[in-house]
Amino acid sequence: MENPSNNSKVTRRRFMRDSVRSVLALGIGAVSGLLIGRSTKQNIVWQLDPEKCVQCGRCATDCVLDESAVKCVHAYDVCGYCELCGGYSKPDAHELDTAAENQLCPTGAIQRSFIEDPYFEYTINEKLCIGCAKCVKGCGSFGNGSLYLQVRHDRCVNCNDCAIARNCPGEAFSRMPSDRPYLLKGEQGLT
Amino acid sequence: MQNRNHIFSSITLIAAVGLLIFYGFTIFSGRSGRDENPFEYDVDSFKGADSSLIHYAEVQSIDFEGKKLTALTLNFKDELIVAAGREIFRIDSMFQSSLWITTQYPVRCLATDIEGLVYVGLENIVLVYHPDGSKQAEWDDFPRQAILTSIAVGDSHVYVADAGSRVVHYFNNSGKLITRLGEKDPVRNIPGFVIPSPYFDLCIAKNGSVWVVNPGRHTFENYLPSGDLVAQWGKTSMRIDGFSGCCNPTHIAMTPQGEFVTSEKGLERIKVYSPAGQLLSVVALPEQFDEGTVGLDLAVDSKGVIYVLDPSRERIRIFGKKEVS
Ligand code: SF4
Ligand code: SF4
Ligand code: SF4
Repeated sequence: MENPSNNSKVTRRRFMRDSVRSVLALGIGAVSGLLIGRSTKQNIVWQLDPEKCVQCGRCATDCVLDESAVKCVHAYDVCGYCELCGGYSKPDAHELDTAAENQLCPTGAIQRSFIEDPYFEYTINEKLCIGCAKCVKGCGSFGNGSLYLQVRHDRCVNCNDCAIARNCPGEAFSRMPSDRPYLLKGEQGLT
Repeated sequence: MQNRNHIFSSITLIAAVGLLIFYGFTIFSGRSGRDENPFEYDVDSFKGADSSLIHYAEVQSIDFEGKKLTALTLNFKDELIVAAGREIFRIDSMFQSSLWITTQYPVRCLATDIEGLVYVGLENIVLVYHPDGSKQAEWDDFPRQAILTSIAVGDSHVYVADAGSRVVHYFNNSGKLITRLGEKDPVRNIPGFVIPSPYFDLCIAKNGSVWVVNPGRHTFENYLPSGDLVAQWGKTSMRIDGFSGCCNPTHIAMTPQGEFVTSEKGLERIKVYSPAGQLLSVVALPEQFDEGTVGLDLAVDSKGVIYVLDPSRERIRIFGKKEVS
Protein backbone atom coordinates (compact mmCIF):
# COMPACT_ATOMS: atom_id res chain seq x y z
CA MET A 1 0.00 0.00 0.00
CA GLU A 2 1.44 3.26 -1.09
CA ASN A 3 1.59 6.86 -0.10
CA PRO A 4 2.20 8.98 -3.18
CA SER A 5 2.45 12.13 -1.08
CA ASN A 6 6.12 11.27 -0.82
CA ASN A 7 6.57 11.06 -4.56
CA SER A 8 8.47 13.75 -6.31
CA LYS A 9 6.43 15.99 -8.55
CA VAL A 10 8.48 14.66 -11.43
CA THR A 11 7.23 11.16 -10.70
CA ARG A 12 3.67 12.34 -10.43
CA ARG A 13 4.00 14.17 -13.73
CA ARG A 14 5.57 11.13 -15.31
CA PHE A 15 2.63 9.10 -14.11
CA MET A 16 0.21 11.34 -15.88
CA ARG A 17 2.41 11.68 -18.95
CA ASP A 18 2.54 7.95 -19.37
CA SER A 19 -1.17 7.53 -18.96
CA VAL A 20 -3.37 7.23 -21.99
CA ARG A 21 -5.05 10.54 -21.34
CA SER A 22 -1.90 12.54 -21.79
CA VAL A 23 -2.29 12.33 -25.56
CA LEU A 24 -4.97 14.92 -25.01
CA ALA A 25 -2.57 17.35 -23.42
CA LEU A 26 -2.81 20.06 -26.01
CA GLY A 27 -4.35 23.00 -24.25
CA ILE A 28 -1.44 24.09 -22.13
CA GLY A 29 0.39 25.28 -25.23
CA ALA A 30 -2.32 27.85 -25.67
CA VAL A 31 -1.57 29.16 -22.21
CA SER A 32 2.15 29.49 -22.66
CA GLY A 33 1.52 31.39 -25.85
CA LEU A 34 -0.59 34.03 -24.15
CA LEU A 35 -0.12 37.56 -25.32
CA ILE A 36 1.69 39.90 -23.04
CA GLY A 37 0.14 43.23 -23.85
CA ARG A 38 0.22 46.43 -21.94
CA SER A 39 2.15 45.05 -19.03
CA THR A 40 5.45 44.65 -20.86
CA LYS A 41 6.04 48.39 -20.68
CA GLN A 42 7.95 47.56 -17.54
CA ASN A 43 10.26 44.60 -17.32
CA ILE A 44 8.44 42.99 -14.47
CA VAL A 45 4.86 41.83 -14.15
CA TRP A 46 2.66 40.41 -11.40
CA GLN A 47 2.07 36.70 -11.21
CA LEU A 48 0.68 34.34 -8.59
CA ASP A 49 2.23 31.08 -7.50
CA PRO A 50 -0.47 28.37 -7.70
CA GLU A 51 1.33 26.38 -5.00
CA LYS A 52 0.82 29.24 -2.53
CA CYS A 53 -2.76 30.10 -3.48
CA VAL A 54 -5.29 29.14 -0.79
CA GLN A 55 -8.33 29.85 -2.99
CA CYS A 56 -9.68 32.70 -0.88
CA GLY A 57 -11.81 34.25 -3.64
CA ARG A 58 -10.10 37.66 -3.60
CA CYS A 59 -8.69 37.25 -7.08
CA ALA A 60 -12.31 37.62 -8.21
CA THR A 61 -13.22 40.52 -5.95
CA ASP A 62 -10.11 42.65 -5.47
CA CYS A 63 -8.69 43.30 -8.94
CA VAL A 64 -9.00 46.92 -10.03
CA LEU A 65 -10.54 45.75 -13.29
CA ASP A 66 -14.28 45.14 -13.36
CA GLU A 67 -13.59 41.67 -14.73
CA SER A 68 -10.54 40.32 -12.93
CA ALA A 69 -7.26 39.88 -14.77
CA VAL A 70 -6.93 36.54 -12.97
CA LYS A 71 -8.40 33.54 -14.76
CA CYS A 72 -8.49 29.81 -14.31
CA VAL A 73 -5.99 27.80 -16.35
CA HIS A 74 -6.08 24.06 -17.01
CA ALA A 75 -3.00 21.82 -17.07
CA TYR A 76 -4.39 19.07 -19.27
CA ASP A 77 -1.42 16.79 -18.75
CA VAL A 78 -2.06 16.81 -14.99
CA CYS A 79 -5.84 16.29 -15.30
CA GLY A 80 -7.36 12.88 -14.59
CA TYR A 81 -10.24 13.44 -17.06
CA CYS A 82 -12.48 12.21 -14.26
CA GLU A 83 -16.19 11.66 -14.61
CA LEU A 84 -16.66 12.97 -11.08
CA CYS A 85 -14.63 16.17 -11.40
CA GLY A 86 -14.33 18.02 -8.10
CA GLY A 87 -13.80 21.23 -10.06
CA TYR A 88 -16.85 20.79 -12.27
CA SER A 89 -19.63 19.20 -10.24
CA LYS A 90 -21.12 20.61 -7.07
CA PRO A 91 -20.34 18.47 -4.02
CA ASP A 92 -24.05 17.69 -3.64
CA ALA A 93 -24.79 17.31 -7.35
CA HIS A 94 -27.66 14.92 -7.94
CA GLU A 95 -26.29 13.82 -11.30
CA LEU A 96 -22.84 14.00 -12.85
CA ASP A 97 -24.19 15.83 -15.86
CA THR A 98 -24.00 19.27 -17.43
CA ALA A 99 -27.21 20.65 -15.89
CA ALA A 100 -26.63 24.17 -14.56
CA GLU A 101 -27.83 23.26 -11.06
CA ASN A 102 -25.15 20.56 -10.81
CA GLN A 103 -22.25 22.77 -11.90
CA LEU A 104 -19.87 24.21 -9.32
CA CYS A 105 -18.69 27.22 -11.35
CA PRO A 106 -20.84 30.25 -10.50
CA THR A 107 -20.63 31.51 -14.09
CA GLY A 108 -20.79 28.22 -15.97
CA ALA A 109 -17.31 28.84 -17.36
CA ILE A 110 -16.23 25.19 -17.43
CA GLN A 111 -17.26 23.11 -20.41
CA ARG A 112 -17.37 19.35 -20.12
CA SER A 113 -17.13 17.02 -23.10
CA PHE A 114 -17.18 13.24 -23.25
CA ILE A 115 -13.99 11.63 -24.60
CA GLU A 116 -14.48 7.89 -24.09
CA ASP A 117 -15.78 5.83 -21.19
CA PRO A 118 -15.18 7.00 -18.47
CA TYR A 119 -13.14 10.07 -19.46
CA PHE A 120 -14.33 13.65 -19.78
CA GLU A 121 -12.43 16.73 -20.85
CA TYR A 122 -12.85 20.06 -19.09
CA THR A 123 -12.20 23.38 -20.85
CA ILE A 124 -12.30 26.87 -19.37
CA ASN A 125 -14.28 29.50 -21.23
CA GLU A 126 -12.14 32.48 -20.25
CA LYS A 127 -14.71 35.03 -21.24
CA LEU A 128 -16.94 33.69 -18.48
CA CYS A 129 -14.28 32.95 -15.85
CA ILE A 130 -14.08 35.49 -13.02
CA GLY A 131 -11.11 33.91 -11.26
CA CYS A 132 -13.06 32.92 -8.16
CA ALA A 133 -10.97 29.75 -7.54
CA LYS A 134 -13.94 27.64 -6.52
CA CYS A 135 -13.07 25.00 -9.12
CA VAL A 136 -9.40 25.24 -8.12
CA LYS A 137 -10.29 24.22 -4.57
CA GLY A 138 -12.56 21.39 -5.74
CA CYS A 139 -9.97 20.03 -8.15
CA GLY A 140 -7.15 20.36 -5.62
CA SER A 141 -9.10 18.59 -2.87
CA PHE A 142 -10.55 15.71 -4.85
CA GLY A 143 -8.58 15.62 -8.08
CA ASN A 144 -5.07 16.14 -9.36
CA GLY A 145 -4.91 19.92 -8.94
CA SER A 146 -4.92 20.56 -12.69
CA LEU A 147 -7.11 23.68 -12.42
CA TYR A 148 -5.30 26.75 -11.09
CA LEU A 149 -5.23 30.53 -11.32
CA GLN A 150 -2.91 32.80 -13.26
CA VAL A 151 -2.76 36.57 -13.84
CA ARG A 152 -3.45 36.91 -17.57
CA HIS A 153 -1.12 39.46 -19.04
CA ASP A 154 -3.36 40.21 -21.97
CA ARG A 155 -5.72 41.70 -19.37
CA CYS A 156 -3.61 42.84 -16.41
CA VAL A 157 -2.70 46.55 -16.41
CA ASN A 158 0.28 45.83 -14.16
CA CYS A 159 -0.61 48.20 -11.32
CA ASN A 160 2.35 49.39 -9.29
CA ASP A 161 0.58 48.15 -6.20
CA CYS A 162 -1.51 45.14 -7.25
CA ALA A 163 -4.76 45.32 -5.28
CA ILE A 164 -4.99 41.54 -5.05
CA ALA A 165 -1.35 41.06 -4.04
CA ARG A 166 -1.89 43.51 -1.18
CA ASN A 167 -4.64 41.31 0.30
CA CYS A 168 -3.62 37.84 -0.79
CA PRO A 169 -3.60 35.65 2.37
CA GLY A 170 -1.33 33.09 0.72
CA GLU A 171 1.24 35.73 -0.23
CA ALA A 172 1.10 34.09 -3.63
CA PHE A 173 1.82 37.21 -5.67
CA SER A 174 5.27 38.33 -6.73
CA ARG A 175 6.92 40.23 -9.53
CA MET A 176 8.14 38.15 -12.47
CA PRO A 177 10.34 39.05 -15.40
CA SER A 178 8.05 39.92 -18.33
CA ASP A 179 9.76 37.36 -20.57
CA ARG A 180 8.77 34.60 -18.12
CA PRO A 181 5.42 35.87 -16.92
CA TYR A 182 3.62 32.63 -16.03
CA LEU A 183 4.00 29.97 -13.33
CA LEU A 184 2.50 27.01 -15.15
CA LYS A 185 1.80 23.53 -13.88
CA GLY A 186 2.41 20.36 -15.82
CA GLU A 187 4.74 19.58 -18.68
CA GLN A 188 5.48 23.15 -19.64
CA GLY A 189 5.54 24.46 -16.15
CA LEU A 190 7.95 24.76 -13.33
CA THR A 191 6.11 22.56 -10.87
CA MET B 1 -19.54 83.77 11.53
CA GLN B 2 -21.46 81.69 14.05
CA ASN B 3 -23.56 80.39 11.19
CA ARG B 4 -20.43 79.39 9.25
CA ASN B 5 -19.02 77.57 12.28
CA HIS B 6 -22.30 75.77 12.65
CA ILE B 7 -22.25 74.67 8.99
CA PHE B 8 -18.60 73.53 9.35
CA SER B 9 -19.40 71.46 12.48
CA SER B 10 -22.39 69.89 10.74
CA ILE B 11 -20.30 68.93 7.69
CA THR B 12 -17.60 67.43 9.98
CA LEU B 13 -20.25 65.50 11.87
CA ILE B 14 -21.87 64.21 8.67
CA ALA B 15 -18.44 63.21 7.31
CA ALA B 16 -17.57 61.41 10.54
CA VAL B 17 -20.90 59.56 10.55
CA GLY B 18 -20.42 58.73 6.86
CA LEU B 19 -16.97 57.32 7.53
CA LEU B 20 -18.27 55.29 10.44
CA ILE B 21 -21.08 53.86 8.29
CA PHE B 22 -18.59 53.10 5.49
CA TYR B 23 -16.16 51.29 7.79
CA GLY B 24 -19.01 49.50 9.50
CA PHE B 25 -20.29 48.35 6.13
CA THR B 26 -16.92 47.20 4.90
CA ILE B 27 -16.21 45.32 8.10
CA PHE B 28 -19.58 43.60 8.18
CA SER B 29 -19.64 42.95 4.44
CA GLY B 30 -16.37 41.11 4.83
CA ARG B 31 -14.35 43.41 2.52
CA SER B 32 -12.24 44.55 5.41
CA GLY B 33 -12.64 41.62 7.80
CA ARG B 34 -11.61 39.48 4.82
CA ASP B 35 -12.72 36.21 6.33
CA GLU B 36 -15.80 35.75 4.20
CA ASN B 37 -15.27 34.13 0.84
CA PRO B 38 -18.35 34.54 -1.33
CA PHE B 39 -17.00 31.74 -3.53
CA GLU B 40 -16.20 29.29 -0.76
CA TYR B 41 -16.01 25.65 -1.89
CA ASP B 42 -18.08 24.25 0.90
CA VAL B 43 -18.04 20.54 1.74
CA ASP B 44 -18.63 21.03 5.46
CA SER B 45 -22.01 19.34 5.29
CA PHE B 46 -20.27 16.12 4.21
CA LYS B 47 -17.70 16.09 6.98
CA GLY B 48 -19.92 14.68 9.70
CA ALA B 49 -21.56 11.35 10.40
CA ASP B 50 -24.38 10.06 12.54
CA SER B 51 -22.83 9.46 15.97
CA SER B 52 -24.39 6.00 16.06
CA LEU B 53 -21.98 5.00 13.27
CA ILE B 54 -18.82 6.07 15.10
CA HIS B 55 -17.70 2.83 16.67
CA TYR B 56 -13.97 3.58 16.97
CA ALA B 57 -11.77 5.94 18.93
CA GLU B 58 -8.08 6.81 18.67
CA VAL B 59 -6.29 4.95 21.43
CA GLN B 60 -2.62 5.60 20.79
CA SER B 61 -0.13 6.97 18.31
CA ILE B 62 3.51 6.41 17.39
CA ASP B 63 5.48 9.51 16.45
CA PHE B 64 7.84 9.65 13.48
CA GLU B 65 8.67 13.33 13.71
CA GLY B 66 10.56 14.63 10.71
CA LYS B 67 9.95 11.45 8.68
CA LYS B 68 8.05 11.35 5.39
CA LEU B 69 5.93 8.29 6.07
CA THR B 70 5.03 6.29 2.98
CA ALA B 71 3.72 2.81 3.86
CA LEU B 72 2.95 0.43 6.69
CA THR B 73 2.12 -3.23 7.21
CA LEU B 74 1.74 -5.76 10.03
CA ASN B 75 3.41 -9.15 10.10
CA PHE B 76 1.81 -12.39 11.33
CA LYS B 77 2.87 -11.56 14.91
CA ASP B 78 1.05 -8.20 14.67
CA GLU B 79 4.39 -6.38 14.62
CA LEU B 80 4.30 -3.11 12.77
CA ILE B 81 6.67 -2.34 9.90
CA VAL B 82 6.75 1.24 8.65
CA ALA B 83 8.44 2.87 5.66
CA ALA B 84 9.54 6.48 5.51
CA GLY B 85 11.13 7.26 2.17
CA ARG B 86 14.05 4.84 1.75
CA GLU B 87 14.04 3.73 5.40
CA ILE B 88 12.10 0.80 6.82
CA PHE B 89 11.51 0.61 10.57
CA ARG B 90 10.38 -2.22 12.80
CA ILE B 91 8.22 -1.30 15.77
CA ASP B 92 8.40 -3.43 18.93
CA SER B 93 5.58 -4.25 21.32
CA MET B 94 6.47 -1.16 23.41
CA PHE B 95 6.01 0.93 20.23
CA GLN B 96 9.72 1.71 20.03
CA SER B 97 10.94 1.97 16.46
CA SER B 98 14.31 0.92 15.12
CA LEU B 99 15.75 1.30 11.64
CA TRP B 100 15.72 -2.11 9.93
CA ILE B 101 16.58 -1.67 6.25
CA THR B 102 17.55 1.18 3.96
CA THR B 103 16.61 0.75 0.31
CA GLN B 104 18.08 2.39 -2.77
CA TYR B 105 14.83 4.08 -3.81
CA PRO B 106 11.77 5.27 -1.86
CA VAL B 107 9.45 2.57 -0.59
CA ARG B 108 5.95 2.80 -2.01
CA CYS B 109 4.27 -0.23 -0.46
CA LEU B 110 4.86 -3.05 2.02
CA ALA B 111 3.41 -6.49 2.71
CA THR B 112 4.33 -9.60 4.72
CA ASP B 113 3.57 -13.31 4.45
CA ILE B 114 2.82 -16.01 7.01
CA GLU B 115 6.52 -16.83 7.41
CA GLY B 116 7.48 -13.26 8.12
CA LEU B 117 9.02 -12.47 4.73
CA VAL B 118 8.66 -8.76 4.01
CA TYR B 119 7.77 -7.62 0.47
CA VAL B 120 8.92 -4.10 -0.32
CA GLY B 121 7.54 -2.30 -3.38
CA LEU B 122 9.73 0.38 -4.90
CA GLU B 123 8.66 2.22 -8.05
CA ASN B 124 9.05 -0.78 -10.40
CA ILE B 125 10.79 -3.47 -8.33
CA VAL B 126 9.67 -5.77 -5.53
CA LEU B 127 12.33 -6.71 -2.96
CA VAL B 128 11.78 -9.67 -0.66
CA TYR B 129 13.50 -9.63 2.75
CA HIS B 130 13.97 -12.41 5.30
CA PRO B 131 12.97 -11.39 8.87
CA ASP B 132 16.72 -11.26 9.68
CA GLY B 133 17.04 -8.39 7.18
CA SER B 134 18.81 -10.29 4.41
CA LYS B 135 17.53 -9.79 0.88
CA GLN B 136 16.02 -12.99 -0.55
CA ALA B 137 14.87 -11.90 -3.97
CA GLU B 138 14.37 -9.02 -6.34
CA TRP B 139 11.47 -9.10 -8.81
CA ASP B 140 11.72 -6.74 -11.72
CA ASP B 141 9.38 -8.26 -14.30
CA PHE B 142 7.30 -5.09 -14.61
CA PRO B 143 6.52 -2.85 -17.59
CA ARG B 144 8.58 0.31 -18.12
CA GLN B 145 5.73 2.55 -16.95
CA ALA B 146 5.10 0.58 -13.75
CA ILE B 147 4.31 2.43 -10.54
CA LEU B 148 3.77 -0.17 -7.83
CA THR B 149 1.26 0.92 -5.22
CA SER B 150 0.23 -2.18 -3.28
CA ILE B 151 1.24 -5.79 -2.60
CA ALA B 152 -0.88 -8.60 -1.13
CA VAL B 153 0.60 -11.99 -0.34
CA GLY B 154 -1.37 -15.26 -0.24
CA ASP B 155 -0.33 -18.82 0.60
CA SER B 156 1.39 -19.44 -2.72
CA HIS B 157 0.96 -16.32 -4.76
CA VAL B 158 1.45 -12.56 -4.69
CA TYR B 159 -0.67 -9.78 -6.20
CA VAL B 160 1.02 -6.48 -7.07
CA ALA B 161 -1.02 -3.39 -7.99
CA ASP B 162 0.58 -1.26 -10.70
CA ALA B 163 -0.98 2.19 -11.09
CA GLY B 164 1.28 3.10 -14.01
CA SER B 165 0.17 0.13 -16.15
CA ARG B 166 -3.32 0.01 -14.61
CA VAL B 167 -3.19 -3.76 -14.01
CA VAL B 168 -2.63 -6.23 -11.19
CA HIS B 169 0.38 -8.51 -11.67
CA TYR B 170 -0.15 -12.04 -10.38
CA PHE B 171 3.05 -13.93 -9.38
CA ASN B 172 3.75 -17.26 -7.79
CA ASN B 173 5.71 -16.91 -4.57
CA SER B 174 9.00 -17.58 -6.37
CA GLY B 175 8.50 -14.36 -8.30
CA LYS B 176 7.41 -15.92 -11.59
CA LEU B 177 4.82 -13.79 -13.32
CA ILE B 178 1.74 -15.89 -14.04
CA THR B 179 -0.67 -13.38 -15.51
CA ARG B 180 -2.01 -9.83 -15.35
CA LEU B 181 -5.51 -9.08 -14.07
CA GLY B 182 -8.00 -6.33 -14.69
CA GLU B 183 -7.17 -5.20 -18.21
CA LYS B 184 -10.22 -3.78 -19.95
CA ASP B 185 -12.06 -6.59 -21.72
CA PRO B 186 -15.67 -5.95 -22.74
CA VAL B 187 -16.14 -9.61 -23.70
CA ARG B 188 -15.38 -10.72 -20.12
CA ASN B 189 -17.23 -7.72 -18.66
CA ILE B 190 -14.04 -6.25 -17.21
CA PRO B 191 -14.35 -2.46 -17.14
CA GLY B 192 -10.62 -1.67 -16.80
CA PHE B 193 -9.03 0.28 -14.00
CA VAL B 194 -9.42 4.06 -14.01
CA ILE B 195 -6.50 5.50 -12.08
CA PRO B 196 -6.18 9.27 -12.50
CA SER B 197 -3.41 9.53 -9.90
CA PRO B 198 -1.21 6.88 -8.28
CA TYR B 199 -3.63 5.54 -5.68
CA PHE B 200 -4.44 1.93 -6.41
CA ASP B 201 -4.81 -0.53 -3.56
CA LEU B 202 -5.78 -4.17 -3.19
CA CYS B 203 -6.13 -6.85 -0.55
CA ILE B 204 -6.42 -10.58 -0.58
CA ALA B 205 -9.60 -12.42 0.42
CA LYS B 206 -9.67 -15.58 2.52
CA ASN B 207 -10.44 -17.67 -0.60
CA GLY B 208 -7.28 -16.43 -2.30
CA SER B 209 -9.06 -14.09 -4.69
CA VAL B 210 -8.13 -10.43 -4.74
CA TRP B 211 -10.22 -7.32 -4.06
CA VAL B 212 -8.98 -4.36 -6.04
CA VAL B 213 -10.07 -0.73 -5.77
CA ASN B 214 -11.02 0.85 -9.09
CA PRO B 215 -10.47 4.37 -7.76
CA GLY B 216 -11.74 6.38 -10.74
CA ARG B 217 -15.02 4.46 -10.61
CA HIS B 218 -15.20 4.29 -6.77
CA THR B 219 -15.72 0.54 -6.92
CA PHE B 220 -14.27 -2.55 -5.31
CA GLU B 221 -13.74 -5.39 -7.77
CA ASN B 222 -13.15 -9.05 -6.87
CA TYR B 223 -10.95 -11.03 -9.27
CA LEU B 224 -10.15 -14.73 -9.32
CA PRO B 225 -6.58 -15.76 -10.24
CA SER B 226 -8.06 -16.76 -13.62
CA GLY B 227 -8.80 -13.09 -14.23
CA ASP B 228 -12.56 -13.45 -13.95
CA LEU B 229 -14.35 -10.56 -12.30
CA VAL B 230 -16.75 -12.24 -9.91
CA ALA B 231 -18.13 -9.45 -7.74
CA GLN B 232 -18.11 -5.69 -7.37
CA TRP B 233 -19.66 -2.96 -5.31
CA GLY B 234 -19.27 0.78 -4.85
CA LYS B 235 -21.11 4.06 -4.54
CA THR B 236 -20.13 7.45 -5.95
CA SER B 237 -21.17 10.11 -3.46
CA MET B 238 -19.65 12.60 -1.04
CA ARG B 239 -22.09 11.37 1.56
CA ILE B 240 -20.74 9.21 4.35
CA ASP B 241 -21.62 5.92 2.66
CA GLY B 242 -19.90 6.74 -0.65
CA PHE B 243 -16.61 7.70 -2.25
CA SER B 244 -15.96 10.75 -4.35
CA GLY B 245 -13.33 12.58 -6.36
CA CYS B 246 -10.99 11.06 -8.85
CA CYS B 247 -9.23 8.41 -6.77
CA ASN B 248 -11.08 7.06 -3.78
CA PRO B 249 -10.75 5.09 -1.63
CA THR B 250 -7.01 5.65 -1.75
CA HIS B 251 -6.21 2.77 0.61
CA ILE B 252 -7.93 -0.33 1.93
CA ALA B 253 -7.24 -3.10 4.42
CA MET B 254 -9.20 -6.13 5.56
CA THR B 255 -10.31 -6.98 9.09
CA PRO B 256 -10.09 -10.55 10.44
CA GLN B 257 -13.85 -10.82 9.75
CA GLY B 258 -13.35 -9.97 6.07
CA GLU B 259 -14.70 -6.42 6.36
CA PHE B 260 -13.08 -3.59 4.41
CA VAL B 261 -11.40 -0.64 6.08
CA THR B 262 -11.11 2.33 3.71
CA SER B 263 -9.35 5.69 3.70
CA GLU B 264 -10.02 8.68 1.46
CA LYS B 265 -8.48 11.90 0.30
CA GLY B 266 -10.43 15.13 -0.18
CA LEU B 267 -12.75 14.17 2.65
CA GLU B 268 -10.21 12.56 4.95
CA ARG B 269 -12.14 9.78 6.61
CA ILE B 270 -11.72 6.16 7.62
CA LYS B 271 -14.67 3.79 7.41
CA VAL B 272 -15.52 0.11 7.66
CA TYR B 273 -17.70 -1.69 5.09
CA SER B 274 -19.20 -5.17 5.06
CA PRO B 275 -17.87 -7.58 2.41
CA ALA B 276 -20.94 -6.72 0.33
CA GLY B 277 -20.32 -2.98 0.58
CA GLN B 278 -22.63 -1.85 3.35
CA LEU B 279 -21.25 0.93 5.54
CA LEU B 280 -20.85 -0.53 9.04
CA SER B 281 -18.75 1.96 11.01
CA VAL B 282 -16.98 5.26 10.90
CA VAL B 283 -13.49 5.11 12.35
CA ALA B 284 -12.37 8.72 11.88
CA LEU B 285 -13.79 11.88 10.33
CA PRO B 286 -12.12 14.82 8.50
CA GLU B 287 -11.97 16.87 11.71
CA GLN B 288 -9.41 14.35 13.00
CA PHE B 289 -6.96 15.02 10.14
CA ASP B 290 -5.17 18.03 8.72
CA GLU B 291 -7.03 19.38 5.69
CA GLY B 292 -5.40 18.10 2.52
CA THR B 293 -3.87 14.98 4.08
CA VAL B 294 -3.28 12.28 1.48
CA GLY B 295 -1.79 8.82 1.72
CA LEU B 296 -3.59 7.40 4.76
CA ASP B 297 -2.23 3.87 4.42
CA LEU B 298 -3.99 1.25 6.55
CA ALA B 299 -3.35 -2.01 8.34
CA VAL B 300 -5.51 -4.12 10.67
CA ASP B 301 -4.15 -6.48 13.31
CA SER B 302 -5.52 -9.88 14.34
CA LYS B 303 -7.72 -8.26 17.01
CA GLY B 304 -9.27 -5.81 14.57
CA VAL B 305 -7.27 -2.78 15.76
CA ILE B 306 -6.79 -0.32 12.89
CA TYR B 307 -3.43 1.36 12.20
CA VAL B 308 -3.48 4.54 10.10
CA LEU B 309 -0.36 6.09 8.64
CA ASP B 310 -0.78 9.87 8.84
CA PRO B 311 1.93 11.52 6.70
CA SER B 312 0.82 15.03 7.60
CA ARG B 313 1.08 14.56 11.37
CA GLU B 314 4.10 12.26 10.92
CA ARG B 315 2.71 9.48 13.07
CA ILE B 316 0.99 6.12 13.05
CA ARG B 317 -2.42 6.51 14.63
CA ILE B 318 -4.11 3.54 16.26
CA PHE B 319 -7.89 3.18 16.44
CA GLY B 320 -9.71 0.63 18.56
CA LYS B 321 -13.36 -0.30 18.87
CA LYS B 322 -15.19 1.65 21.55
CA GLU B 323 -16.60 -0.26 24.48
CA VAL B 324 -20.35 -0.69 24.13
CA SER B 325 -21.94 0.68 27.31
S1 SF4 C 1 -5.81 36.24 -3.49
FE1 SF4 C 1 -4.11 34.77 -3.29
S2 SF4 C 1 -4.95 33.03 -2.09
FE2 SF4 C 1 -6.70 34.29 -2.81
S3 SF4 C 1 -7.37 33.28 -4.71
FE3 SF4 C 1 -5.91 34.92 -5.31
S4 SF4 C 1 -3.88 33.92 -5.35
FE4 SF4 C 1 -5.28 32.55 -4.27
S1 SF4 D 1 -15.15 28.26 -10.78
FE1 SF4 D 1 -14.34 30.38 -10.73
S2 SF4 D 1 -12.16 30.15 -11.30
FE2 SF4 D 1 -13.19 28.24 -11.89
S3 SF4 D 1 -13.76 28.54 -14.05
FE3 SF4 D 1 -15.53 29.17 -12.83
S4 SF4 D 1 -15.26 31.38 -12.53
FE4 SF4 D 1 -13.28 30.56 -13.22
S1 SF4 E 1 -1.89 44.24 -11.17
FE1 SF4 E 1 -3.84 45.35 -11.22
S2 SF4 E 1 -4.91 44.58 -13.03
FE2 SF4 E 1 -3.25 43.14 -12.58
S3 SF4 E 1 -4.17 41.54 -11.30
FE3 SF4 E 1 -3.32 43.08 -9.89
S4 SF4 E 1 -5.03 44.50 -9.50
FE4 SF4 E 1 -5.59 43.28 -11.32
